[in-house]
Amino acid sequence: MPPVVRPPVCSTEMELCPVLTELLALREECRRLKELAQTDSLTGLYNRRYLMKSLDQEMERTRRTGLPTSLIMLDLDHFKRLNDMYGHQFGDQVLSRVARILKNNVRKLDIPCRYGGEEFALVLPGTRLAQGMRLAMRLKEILAQSWEGPQGRPLQLTASFGVDTFTGKEDLTPETLLQKTDRWLFMAKARGRNTVCSPDSPQDDPGAGLTPEERRAFFFPTTSHNDRAGGSYG
Amino acid sequence: MAEPKYWCITSGKGGVGKTCLAVNLAFALALQGRRVLLVDGDLGLANVDVLLGLEVRTTVRDILDLGADPDATLITVHPLLSVLPASSGVPEMANLGPDDQGLLQETVRAMATPFHYVILDTAAGLGPAVLWFNAIADLSLVVATPDPTALTDAYALIKVLAQSRQGNHFGIVLNCVQDEEEASQIFHTLNRATERFLGLRLNYLGAVPLDPAVKKAVRDQAPFLNSAPQSRAAQAVINLTDRLKELDLDRLESIKADDQGMKLQSLR
Repeated sequence: MPPVVRPPVCSTEMELCPVLTELLALREECRRLKELAQTDSLTGLYNRRYLMKSLDQEMERTRRTGLPTSLIMLDLDHFKRLNDMYGHQFGDQVLSRVARILKNNVRKLDIPCRYGGEEFALVLPGTRLAQGMRLAMRLKEILAQSWEGPQGRPLQLTASFGVDTFTGKEDLTPETLLQKTDRWLFMAKARGRNTVCSPDSPQDDPGAGLTPEERRAFFFPTTSHNDRAGGSYG
Repeated sequence: MAEPKYWCITSGKGGVGKTCLAVNLAFALALQGRRVLLVDGDLGLANVDVLLGLEVRTTVRDILDLGADPDATLITVHPLLSVLPASSGVPEMANLGPDDQGLLQETVRAMATPFHYVILDTAAGLGPAVLWFNAIADLSLVVATPDPTALTDAYALIKVLAQSRQGNHFGIVLNCVQDEEEASQIFHTLNRATERFLGLRLNYLGAVPLDPAVKKAVRDQAPFLNSAPQSRAAQAVINLTDRLKELDLDRLESIKADDQGMKLQSLR
């Protein structure tokens, strides 16, 4: 008995099959929409929606594995002034370049996002606060150098950074971790910008200030110490 | 074996001879047959290695950042004396966070077990690392010179340590003095101030006289205890070492057993 030859699903050739073509187009559309939904069109970094989602995931991972998750937030200093001076198009170029710097200087697992305007956030899975601080310091140094304005004019561009960490012990949600980190960023702005603040940043003077009375206790009238100027050796 | 004793050499002001004293004290103890671990606690601007002319390959920083083997980091400068070097020119190391501090403390504790004494040489100033090293030490040796600014800074350091409840016992070592009489006068000035303003009595441990042998030894990158054992400074350090070894911490004036109502509790 001759084998039964099944009729083809589609009568036309593979490349011409309208169903397959439609299917491939839909798949491409899905991919494009997904990308649109999680990236920022100007910079190509992840957007805020994706930031919240990955922060949620990484914090859950911290709870399960005990490996801390750190978060860096940074805001370009005096960005508005730059926009006003050189126009928004130039401002956009700067944002793109900052995004490229961030992408090129974080590790493979880190998640660089544009939080909004000229504010960026980096989710650092499996990272302790000290390591996060060091990354922030490094980014600060890299950002602060080699900027050029239009017509090759030198341009001063810096950023302020806030860093915080979720170790799994704190009672935090992605939103509250963002808020906490944002407060350190605010402190960095308040301390004159182009700096990094975190829970480890020295807070205000620990009360070391001496009263005038205390100071006077060490300055006695007999001042015969000039001959000892070369005496210290520490 | 008994727990190693932790002595923290500290000063507030820079350039009063902390590192030099730490190195020579460590040598004096080693020459007397004690096993000593000298920790360079000046994490940002380390210079124990410079004073000893050491070639440093790995440092505290490599242990914390890269998980380097702590024992491979130690440098043996005498059969009984090992040095844990720090890294120079790394500003962020001076601001260790709580988890790095915990790791460093664990590392030092683990490394310290075979030793009789751990000498912690701190940075100048009142940075978090300085306060923290004082908090883990049994005894803070506060170094000052007769210079009024050095005395003021020593007082400020003691004030901060006492108020933040770090540091356990304070001993005063005076450096670059002319003679015992001057040393005693200076100690009383400092002690009067701490008694009056902080309600705190200090312990006088000794003085090291101004001595050209010291400067020469620093330039030669050798401890003066080795290069000039007969010098006045070397003799003073040996006397100081003897006194420190005999020291019974429980009988010392302590910020814990303070009678002026400051009722400070130590962190430990």
